Amino acid sequence: MNVLMPQLGETVAEGKVAIWYKKEGDIVAKNEILVDVETDKAAVEIPSPVEGVIGSILVSEGETVDVGTILAVINNQDADSGSSEQLANVEKKNSTPELTQNNFIAETLKSQKIINSPESGQSGRRLKLSPVVRRLLTEHQIDVNEVLGSGKDGRITRSDVMAFLDNRLTKPSVKPVLQPLGDSNRVPFDRIRRVTAEHMVRSKVTSPHVFQAVEADFSSVDAARSFHQERWRSDNGYSLTYLPFIARATCLALRDFPRLNGSVDGEALILHKGIHLSIAVDLNFKGLVAPVIFDADGLTVMGLARRIHEISMGAREGKLSADELSGGTYTLSNNGSFGTLLTGAIINQPQVGILSIDAIKKRPVVIEDSTGDSIAIRPVGILSQSFDHRAVDGSYSAAFLHKIRTLLEEKDWSAEL
Amino acid sequence: MTKKKKDSSKPGKTQIPGSLKGEPEINTETRLRLYRTMYECRVLEQRAYDLFMQNLVKGTSHLALGQEAIASGFGTAMRPDDYTFCTYRGHNHTYVRGVSMVSILGELMGRECGLLRGKGGSMHLTSVKHGAMGSYAIIGAHLPVAAGAAWSAQYRRTKQVSVCFFGDGTTNIGAFHEALNFAVIWKLPVIFVCENNLYMEYTAIKDVTAVENPAADRASAYGLEAIVIDGNDVDVVYEAANTAFSKAREGGGPTLIEAKTYRHGGHSRADPGKYRPDEELQAWLNKDPIPMYRERLIGLGIEETQLKKVESETDEAIDVATEQARNSPSPSTDIAFIDVWADGGASWRN
Amino acid sequence: MAQLTYREAVSAAIAQEMRRDENVVFLGEDVAAAGGVFKTTAGLLEEFGPERVKDTPISEQAIIGAAMGASMTGLRPIAEIMFSDFFAVCWDLVANQIAKTRYMTDGQCSFPLVLRSANGGGSRFGAQHSQSVENWAMAIPGLKVVAPSNPADVKGLLAASIRDPDPVMFFEQKSLYSVKGEVPDGEHIEPLGVASIVRAGTDVTVAALAAMVPRALKAAEILQDQHGISCEVVDVRCLVPLDTQTILGSVVRTSRFVTVEENPRLCGWGAELASIVAEELFWDLDGPIVRITTPHIPLPSADELEDAVMPSPERIVQNIKKLVD
Repeated sequence: MNVLMPQLGETVAEGKVAIWYKKEGDIVAKNEILVDVETDKAAVEIPSPVEGVIGSILVSEGETVDVGTILAVINNQDADSGSSEQLANVEKKNSTPELTQNNFIAETLKSQKIINSPESGQSGRRLKLSPVVRRLLTEHQIDVNEVLGSGKDGRITRSDVMAFLDNRLTKPSVKPVLQPLGDSNRVPFDRIRRVTAEHMVRSKVTSPHVFQAVEADFSSVDAARSFHQERWRSDNGYSLTYLPFIARATCLALRDFPRLNGSVDGEALILHKGIHLSIAVDLNFKGLVAPVIFDADGLTVMGLARRIHEISMGAREGKLSADELSGGTYTLSNNGSFGTLLTGAIINQPQVGILSIDAIKKRPVVIEDSTGDSIAIRPVGILSQSFDHRAVDGSYSAAFLHKIRTLLEEKDWSAEL
Repeated sequence: MTKKKKDSSKPGKTQIPGSLKGEPEINTETRLRLYRTMYECRVLEQRAYDLFMQNLVKGTSHLALGQEAIASGFGTAMRPDDYTFCTYRGHNHTYVRGVSMVSILGELMGRECGLLRGKGGSMHLTSVKHGAMGSYAIIGAHLPVAAGAAWSAQYRRTKQVSVCFFGDGTTNIGAFHEALNFAVIWKLPVIFVCENNLYMEYTAIKDVTAVENPAADRASAYGLEAIVIDGNDVDVVYEAANTAFSKAREGGGPTLIEAKTYRHGGHSRADPGKYRPDEELQAWLNKDPIPMYRERLIGLGIEETQLKKVESETDEAIDVATEQARNSPSPSTDIAFIDVWADGGASWRN
Repeated sequence: MAQLTYREAVSAAIAQEMRRDENVVFLGEDVAAAGGVFKTTAGLLEEFGPERVKDTPISEQAIIGAAMGASMTGLRPIAEIMFSDFFAVCWDLVANQIAKTRYMTDGQCSFPLVLRSANGGGSRFGAQHSQSVENWAMAIPGLKVVAPSNPADVKGLLAASIRDPDPVMFFEQKSLYSVKGEVPDGEHIEPLGVASIVRAGTDVTVAALAAMVPRALKAAEILQDQHGISCEVVDVRCLVPLDTQTILGSVVRTSRFVTVEENPRLCGWGAELASIVAEELFWDLDGPIVRITTPHIPLPSADELEDAVMPSPERIVQNIKKLVD
C-alpha cells in the first residue's frame, strides 16, 4: 500500500515531510500516525491507511515533494501493493543511470528546487538565483536573505547584489556578528518565524507603505455592545468585542472604496469582487497567522463575531487548513489588548491595505453643539491603515478611513444586533 | 568525325584514328620510357594490392591494374609544368608525374613519409610541385577544376595544358557536361580523357548510358570531335596525347578522348568483380598492355636485355620503397590540427 | 568620405582590388555585360576587359570548379553565385572540394578565392531565392564566412576577402543593396574576424548579423526611449573567423545575451554563440540566453507574410523587454 503526500489545501501543490514516527521494518496499526507533513501555512498528521509493516520510506525528513508523491510503502496483505507506480518512484528516488531522459530531467529539476533554497535553508520558498547572482553571493559571502530582490516576483538581480555590495562598503552593517558573543544566546527561527520574517521583508520591498490614521468615537458601538453583552456571553461562552463592529464597518467601507480591496499586478490593479477579511491572530507570542473570513460582507456583526471567534480558536489550536489561511483581500490587525496607541502594520501581500485597531480607551473629547463646546468622556480608539501607494493615493485612503469612522460613530448598531 | 561501330565490350585490333595517321614515328628512347613507365605503374599498383591483402593499407583503394597505358602515354607526352587531375583511381597518374614510390606507398599505409603525411589517403594523392593537382573522390568534381586550371594557364599565357582523367561513369554526371561546355566556349587548353573500362562501379556502363560510346558520342553536343582510341595501346595513346597537347598549346581549345581499356581487378579492394563475364575478363587479360608492348618492342628490334634491366631495376626499387615505407612511423597526431588555412592554422575563433 | 550604396560598395571593392593585383579575375552569370542582376558589378567589364571580367553559362558547378582550379594555379578569382540559394546546386565543389583540399593535401595548395552571392530575404522573392545560408557555410570546416551589414563594411570586408589567402564565402544581403552609407575614400580594408560594437549599452548584449543589424539598432532605440533599457548591439560581421572576444567581453559587462538571426531557427549561427556564452560565461549570466530568429519554416513570399515571420524591431523589443523585466 502506498502512502501519498496529501494535498494540504486546494491551491497547495507540495508539502514537506517534517517528522517520521515510524521507520522501515516497524509494524503499524491502521490509523496509527505515520508522519507529520507541513506547508508554510499548516501542519498535518498522516495516519496509516492499513495495518502492516513499513516496507520502505521514500522521502526523508526535511524533503519537500509534490502532492501525490509516494512517501512510504506499507507491506500488507492487500493485493495492490507492488504496483509499477511504486517502482517508478523508487527509480526516481535512487537516481540510477537507468533513468530515462525525462525522469532524469524531472529528478534534476526537483533537486534543483531543493538546492535552490537559500543558504539559510528555508522551506516552502523557492528562490531563482541566476548564475551570476549565485557566484557573487558566494564570492562575497553574502547571506541571500539580506539582499532585496527588485526583479519580477522579488527576484534578486545582479544589480541588486551590486547595490548591496556598494551599501555594505559605505555603511558597515550594524547587525550582530554571526557568532554570538559570550553573553548572548542564538535562537534559530522556527518555521513560523522564518515564514513571517520572509513575508514581512518581501512585503516592505514590494509595496510602498503609507501610514494614515483616524480617531473614532466608539460610544455608539459601546452602547450596543453593553446592551447585548450579558446575553451574548451566556449564549456563546465568550465576550462580544469591538472587532466585529469594526469588521462590519470595514466591509461596508470597502464596498464604497473597492481599490483597497485589490491586488497590484505589474502595472494594473486587480479589483476583487469578494470581500474576504483576513484577521490577524497572535499565537501566544509564538507567531502570527491571518485566517480568512470569506465573503465577510455577507455576515452581520453577530455572524462576524462568531466567525472571528471560530477562526481565532482554530488558529490557536493549529486546526486550520491551508485554504483557510489564504485568499484574503484586506486585513484587520487587532493590537489593542496591550493598550497601544498606534501600530503601523505591514501589508499582508498581495493585498493593498491593512487596518490596525489599537486600544479603545476612555478619553476626554470636545463635543460641539448649538449651546457651544463642552468636554465629555468617550471611548476613543485610533484606527491606523497602512496602504500600498501604488494602488491608491492618500486622499482615497483618507476618505475610506473617514467612512469607517462615520459608520462606527453614526450607524444604528443596536439594529444590527 | 570518326565513329566506332564495334561491340565496345570486346577488345579489337589496334585502330589508329584518321587524325593520327601520318604522325612521325616514336623514337626508341621514348618507347623505352613508355615501357618503363607502364611497368613501374604495374609493379607499384600490384604492391599496393599485396599490402592491402596484408592489412597494411587501410580503408579502401581503387586500383588501375590494366590501365597503365593511358597514364604512361599521357604522362610521357606532357610537359613537367602541365597540370593533371585524376580520380581516386589515381595512383598511376600521380606516379607518372615523378612522385616517388615510397611516398605513394607511405600514404596508402598512413605513414609519416606518405605523400600527404596520412592526411588524405589513397583517394587524394596530390603533388602540386609535380603538377599532380589532386585525385578527386567525388565523381565529376574535378572536371570543372581542370578547366579552371586551364583558364589560369590561358590567362597567364604560359602554354601550360590541363589534363583531366576520369572514368566512363563520369560521363553521366552534371559536372561533366558543364565542364565540357565551359571549356569549349572559352577555348580552354584542357584535355578530357575518359578511361572507359566498361564498368561504372559494379554496373556495365552500357546499361546506364543512352549512347554507345559514353564520352565520344557526347562530343558533338559540345562541338567537339568524337575520338575513340585503344587505351591499351600505349603508342596510340601517346600519339593521341601529343595531338591534343599541340592543339591546346596553340590555342585550339579542348579535346575529349575516349580510351577503351579494362581494369584487371574490381572497382575497389572491397570488390572481387564477379559481375563481369569470365570470357570478357579473359579476353582483356590477353590484351594486357604491358606484355603486348614488350612483344612489340622486341619486334621493333629493341634488346630484350634492356627490357629485363628495366624490369629488375623496378622490382628492386619497389622492394626498397616498400621497406622504407613500412619503417616510416605513424604521423604525429599534431598534424591533424593544422593546415585548414593557408597560414597553417585551424582556428575558427579568437 | 563618400556616400555609396551597398551595391556600389561591391563593385568599388572589386575594382579596388583588380586595380591593385592583376591576378584578380571575376566570373559569374550576367556579371560582365549586364553588370550583374542586382547591378552590383556595373562598370567592371568596361574598366578591366573581357579577359578579367567574364560572363558564364548557367553552370554553377563549372563556375565554382573553375574558380577552384584557377585559384590553385596562381589566380585570385572572385566567383558570383547569383542567389545564395543556388549554392545547393554546386555544394559539392564548395564543401567537399574547396573546403577540404588544402587539409587533405597536407597544405600543398591554397585557394585564395571569394565566392560572393546575394543572400537573405525581405525582397519577396519566395522560398528558393530568399534563404539565409551563412549557416550552411559556417558548418563546413575550411571556409571563411562574411556577412556585412553596411556599405563601408561591404567595401572593406570584400577587399579583405579578396586579399585573404583562404576561400571566403561573402554573403551580401539583397534587401540592403540600396541602403546608403558613408564609405571612407581611398583604399579601404576591414580585417576579417573582427566584430563591431555599433551601439554601446549596459543592460543586454544583442548580437546581430547583416540585415538584422539595422533592425536591432531600431529596437535598441525604442527600448531606450520607451523602456529605459540600454542595449549593446554587436554587428558580428564575420562568422568564420569568429570574434568571440568582443562578444564575450560585452556579455561580461551586461550579463545578458540575445541574438537576432534572419535564418530559420535550427542550427543558426546564434545557436553556436549561445552555446559558447553558456559554456564560457555561465557564471556571468543574469538571465537565460534568448535567440530571436525567423521560425523554422521556408520563407513565404507575400509582403505581410514575409514581414510577419522575419524578426522585426517590434518583436526584438518584446523579447528583450521580457528578458530584462
